[in-house]
Order: sequence, then C-alpha cells, then structure tokens
Amino acid sequence: MDSSNDEAVDIIITNVVATFRTRCHLNLRTIALEGINVIYKPEVGKVLMKLRKPRITASIWSSGKIICTGATSEDEAKLGARRLARCLQKLGFKVRFSAFKVVNVLAVCSMPFSIHLVDFTKNNRPIASYEPELHPAATYRIKNIKATVQVFSTGSLTITGPNVQNVATAVEQVYPLLFECRKPLCK
Amino acid sequence: MSSKVCKNCGSTAIDVDHARGNAVCMSCGSVLDDNIIVSEVEFVETGGGGSLAVGQFVSSEAKQNINTLGHQLQMSQHCLDTAFNFYKMALNKRLTNGHRSSHVIAACLYLVCRTEGTPHMLLDLSDVLQVNVYVLGKVFLHLAKELCINAPAIDPCLYIPRFAQMLEFGEKNHDVSMTAMRLVQRMKRDWMHTGRRPSGLCGAALLVSAHMHDFCRTVKEVVNVVKVCESTLRKRLTEFEDTPTSKLTVEEFMRIDLDDECDPPSYTAGLKKTKTQQLEKQLMEKMPDVEDEIKGYQDEIDAELESLRPKLKGVYAAYVNRDLSSEDIRSVLSQQDDNQSDEDEELRAVARHFDKDLDTLTVEALIKLEQKTPEEENECGMKIPERVGPSLASILGTMPSAATLGLPETINKCTGEERENDGAADSGELDLSGIDDSEIELYLLSESEIKIKTALWMAENSDYLKEQKEKEAKIAKEKELGIYKEKKPKSSGKKRSQIRASTADEAIGKMLEQKKISTKINYDVLKDLNIRPSASPARKAESVKSESSAKLTRRSTKPAQTPTGLSVPLSTLGKRLQPFISRQPNKKQAVESPQDSLCNPLPAPAAAPASGGVVVESGPVVYNDVADEEEDEEEDTCVSAMDLLGGNDYGFDGDDDDGF
Repeated sequence: MDSSNDEAVDIIITNVVATFRTRCHLNLRTIALEGINVIYKPEVGKVLMKLRKPRITASIWSSGKIICTGATSEDEAKLGARRLARCLQKLGFKVRFSAFKVVNVLAVCSMPFSIHLVDFTKNNRPIASYEPELHPAATYRIKNIKATVQVFSTGSLTITGPNVQNVATAVEQVYPLLFECRKPLCK
Repeated sequence: MSSKVCKNCGSTAIDVDHARGNAVCMSCGSVLDDNIIVSEVEFVETGGGGSLAVGQFVSSEAKQNINTLGHQLQMSQHCLDTAFNFYKMALNKRLTNGHRSSHVIAACLYLVCRTEGTPHMLLDLSDVLQVNVYVLGKVFLHLAKELCINAPAIDPCLYIPRFAQMLEFGEKNHDVSMTAMRLVQRMKRDWMHTGRRPSGLCGAALLVSAHMHDFCRTVKEVVNVVKVCESTLRKRLTEFEDTPTSKLTVEEFMRIDLDDECDPPSYTAGLKKTKTQQLEKQLMEKMPDVEDEIKGYQDEIDAELESLRPKLKGVYAAYVNRDLSSEDIRSVLSQQDDNQSDEDEELRAVARHFDKDLDTLTVEALIKLEQKTPEEENECGMKIPERVGPSLASILGTMPSAATLGLPETINKCTGEERENDGAADSGELDLSGIDDSEIELYLLSESEIKIKTALWMAENSDYLKEQKEKEAKIAKEKELGIYKEKKPKSSGKKRSQIRASTADEAIGKMLEQKKISTKINYDVLKDLNIRPSASPARKAESVKSESSAKLTRRSTKPAQTPTGLSVPLSTLGKRLQPFISRQPNKKQAVESPQDSLCNPLPAPAAAPASGGVVVESGPVVYNDVADEEEDEEEDTCVSAMDLLGGNDYGFDGDDDDGF
C-alpha cells in the first residue's frame, strides 16, 4: 500500500457508511417499543438503533431502507448490518438482506511533515482549492476515483471515498504532491 | 421590466426611446437604461421557417443588481464590468440554475475581488446580503470551478490598509500599517497563517502595532472592525507570544528578522499531547520498580502496626506513648512529612479497617482503597513513595484505566469470535453465519418490558399522538362532507396561468373561458360595457344573475378582493383579475368602466329589482342581489361596491386612466 513512502504512513479508517434494504415494510413503532437502544424520531420518520458489538448506529426507515454508520471496517459494517437484519427478523418482520453497499469510507492519516497549503494549491490548480475564510484545509478532489482529500497545514489528512481501496489509492496519489510542498518540522 | 419610477428623483415621467435604446427621466434627466435594444430578446426567423431568440439573456435587472451591490462595497466601475462579464459567462453555462440570483451575483463580485486583489472579504458581501457566508462560499467555489478561474489566495497584507483606515490612526496611519505588515509577514514565516482567516491575523497584527506606536486600541475596537471573535484574537496573540519574535523589543523587531521558522501552532499543541502521552507510558514502565518499593514500605508499616497494636488499645493511657510510637514509625519510614499526626491516625485507621487483610494488602487493594475513599486512604499510599517520583495518584490513577481497558477484551472473548464473513449472495437471503442469536436476543425486550415501555412512550409522546388523532379525525370528517382534498397543504389552490391579452375584451373573454363561467353569458353585452359605459343599458343583467348564482359556488382560495373594472387595462393588473364575480357571486356587482364614479362609494343596490330585470343605472352597473339564491351567504348585509372593490387600498386615480 505505501510503496511510495520510505516510512510507513498509517491510514486509520474511522468511519464506514453502508446501506441495505430489507425488502419489506417496517413498522417503526413496533421497533421503537420492543427494542433496546432505539431512538424513535417520528417527525423525521425514522428509528435510530445502536448496536454494541460492532459499534454501529443504524437509521431505519419504514420503507425498509437502512443506513448503517460508525463501523471501522468494511467487514464490520457488513457484520453489523447482518446483525441488525437478524434483530429485525426476530421482531417479526420478514426481512431479506439485499443490496448491501458500502457508500462512504472516512479515513485519517498523518504526514511526518507540515505542508505549505498556498503552494500546494498553486501547483494543483483547479483540482485543489483552498479558502481560508471558509475552511482551514485545502480540498483536493480526485475525480476518477471519486475521493476527496482534505489537507491541513499540520500534515494531517482526512480522506473520504467510496471504498477502502480508493482511499488508499488517493493517499498514494496525493503523497508526492504533498512531499513537494513540505516543510520539515523543526521540533 | 423596469418600474416606471426614476431612481434619482422618484418621478414617474420616464421617456423610453426604443430607437435609441434609452430610458430617460423627464424631470431630472438621468439615464436609467441605456441599452434596451441589446438587452431585449428578439425573435428572428431562421431559414427553415423556425424562429430563433437573439439577444442578451441577461436582464437589465441583473445588471442593476450588480451595480448596486458593487457600489455598496465601493468597487470601481471596471470591477463591476468584469463582474458583469462573469455573470454573462455563468448564464451561458447555465450555472445560475439552482442558486438564488442574488447569491450568484455576489459570487461574481467576489470573484472579481479576488482576481483584482481588492480588500473585500466574503464576509462583507454576506453582511450586505444577510446571507450565511458558507452558503455564499459554496456558490463561489462552484462558480470558480466551472468557469475555470483560478482565484489567487488571499494575502492578509491586503487587508491591513483597509482596517488601519477604519481604526483611525490619523497621521501615523502609514507607520502603523507598515509595522503591521511586517508583523504579518513574520507570522507567515512562523506558520501561523495557514488555515486561518486572514482577518484574524490582521487584527492581531494591527493591535500589536497600534500598541507599539502608543495608540491604545482595545480588543473590542479591533474586533468590531475586523469581524472576528474576541477569543480568536486573543488566541492569535498568545500564539504570537509563543514565537521567539515576540521576545524582541520594538526597535529590534524593526531592524532584525530572525531566521528560525516555527511550526504551526496546532502542530505544537498536538506535539505536547503526544509528549504527555509518552511521559505517561514511561511512568507506566517504571511502575514495577515503584511497586516493589511500595510493597517494601507496606510490609514495614504492617510490621510496625502489628507491634504497636497492643499499645493502641490503651488509647487514653497511652496517649503520650502514641506520639512516641508515631515517631518510631516515622523513623522506620524515614519520611519528612508535615502533618504527621494525621497521617498516623490514618495509618491506624487503615490498619483497623483492614485488620484482617493486612497480609493481603497489595497494590490492588490500595487501588480499591483509593477508589472508595479517595482522600483519606490515598494519603497513606501517596505519601510513601513521594520522594521516588511523581505522585502515586497519577500512577495509580492510570492503573484503573488499564484495568478497565482489559474489560472489553474479556467481554469479547466471552461472547466469542464472530469475524467470518463469507460473501453472502445478494439473493436477499440473510446469511446467519457468525451471528449469535442469543446475543441478538439481548437486544429485544421481554413481554413485560414491552408493556412498560409502551406505556412510557405513550405518556411521553402524548402530544404528538393527539395531533395525529386530530388530523385523522379531520380528514374523516371532511371525507364525509365530500370536500376532502387530497394533500391539502401541498396545493395552494389551482394555479392560474397569466392572462395575456392586448385589450380588455380579449382578457375578459379569456378569463371567462378559463373560469368556465356560464355559457349563457352574452359576451357581446359585456363588450358593450367597455365601449360606452353609461350609455348602453346593461342588458346583461339577466344572464349575469343566473351565471353568478349558478356557477360560482366554488369558493376556492382567491387573493384578496381585487378591485377591477372590466375596462381597466389588464396588462397593468395581470393576473389580479380574479374577478370578484366568483368571490361573492351574489353580492358582487359588475363595475362598469370607472369613469369618475369608481372611487365614489356605490349606492347600495337598492335600485336593482329583485326580479332581475334589466338594470338601468346611471352609475356603474352592479350585479343584482338575486332573490333566488342557491346558496346561503354568510353575509346578508348589503355591502357597498366600494368595499367589494377592495376599499381604499386601491389607489386608482383618475390620472392614471388611459382614457378609455
């Protein structure tokens, strides 16, 4: 993964968002009343259910669509989703587990050098954009793999992409560009 | 479409010359529009017979908006023209879709500011427009990306002259500005400026330079000018304080420039954190050594206590002896603490408390002690190894956390490993492998629990449930009455298309067609109304009567009573020609052309015979209040036509008549 670097740079995945469908209508009130760790939001029309083991939070809609957030890996997300479906099954709904898809992966990464954002943006017009009035980080959007990298001046990056592989590729792509505009830390 | 009012003097006498493409005010002579020709959209015939729209799609309104906004920010005309060009480009690329026009205009202006390097902040624009700055920022970024315009980054130095001006330094303005600029450059080299709002840095720099030049500007004054929060300003100042440059005196600063560059402040903060964490780790490693020492001391304490205990029992008698014994303990432990007596009391208390457990008094026990009565028993444990290293509390403090860390792991082990994940086929079947049913059942409540929870939930959400019930009841009721409209809140009545007609006759005709009023209306008569108002007898009465009563029962939502005369040019009224024919059908009376009498309150329709014969009136003709009403009206009183016409809010002066 980090073949381009001499020292290993740790990419830590902090959040994986996945969706799936149960193919059946769910009665939110039943779920709300019979489940532990549920929050019912009738105004919005959804139920939040939190699982402890893969620590995830799921938003359940009455149409049967479920969004699962908080997992730390793709596998964990799938496991949590399956658990949730099993839980709903036990409540009496005829759930079928279909259309599971990981939608978003958020990872953080730290470079051992700080980065001069103005230079970085200048070198990478228009892919990179930096608006200090709006956000302290420079945003670098990679179109072909659909990943966004936010670069902070301290050298930390946050990367969001559709799956873990893309995130890793994004880091590799961005690393040489960052390396050019680096400033070695003195302390 | 510009309003026919001059912006400078307010007069309505505007001469529009299409030949020249000008619109000029007659009273003050100012030119209001100067390229009407170009800004109108014309239709041209193409070869195959179709037509093509030619001309600028930018309305003059948009250009005016740009100019107004620009003038408010004191931008030069050149900038405004450039902004206008940007706007045209945006229009061509259909970038204005999905954003409010005011936002797009503001974004174009800001784009110009950035490319020209004028000291205007996005904040200023959002202030003027009263829009969230992040919303504007989004539009701006979108625009810049699509137009492929690379806006150069903002340099805080740009803002300094502007802010200095506002802070009113008088003659020394230039000096203060120069010092502030040097400060900002220094900040840049110290990596304080990346990721920060340039206005915050400027504020800090100006504050410092003002003080350097003996101007006492308070933080509040600077904050008002610079538009950042007080705490932000203070933070910048503290960060600057941390840099070595801050140690220089004023004169030195002006002369020397230090070579070292600092790290960004957030990085140093992060470093500190990691350092403390490392320290803790090291301390943890030293723990075993400390533990042994503690154990040694404990054993000694225990031994002494054992020997001392018989003496303790004779408390009163051995009061004097106690002090001696305490000194013995002290010598044994060789401590040099202050509150000896207290400590010994505590030791004894500990001993008494753990009479049986003295042998097993280990570090773990001490921890438990600590947790139970943090203050009292801590003293014993803490004082002992004091000279060894940092307080035991901190070391012991971290230990419980280590213990608690172990807990989740053990739980995991207990509940078993469930890490397998064969790619379940997407057939919809739930792959149950690796899912522990018993654990899942933990997530579901038992019967009794369900009942309790239901009761609780109902109690809590009683308001919401009430509302829902009321809604349903309403819907059911309306269904019975047959009036129920599906999705009531969504639709706001039927949308009527605008009636466009060149003459009043056409408009009336169209309107009546639209409203599907009775086919029995004699349109010719209606037309006659237009031509000769007072002369022609209103023969329409009989037809009008029936149509008014029969057809116009629908009381769909209509706008407020619109005073209309049938002969009033509809182009000025547009879709406000919602004829009050429909509103209060039986009460309304058609008004003839409003010669003079419109403003006069009409007499009650006493003249109209109930039988609905031909009504001959000298004044405006009114619809009859028909006896054979098919519907009950709420109001039974006769309402004057003036009221029907909307009362006094219709300022229909005779002057504005087009003289029909």
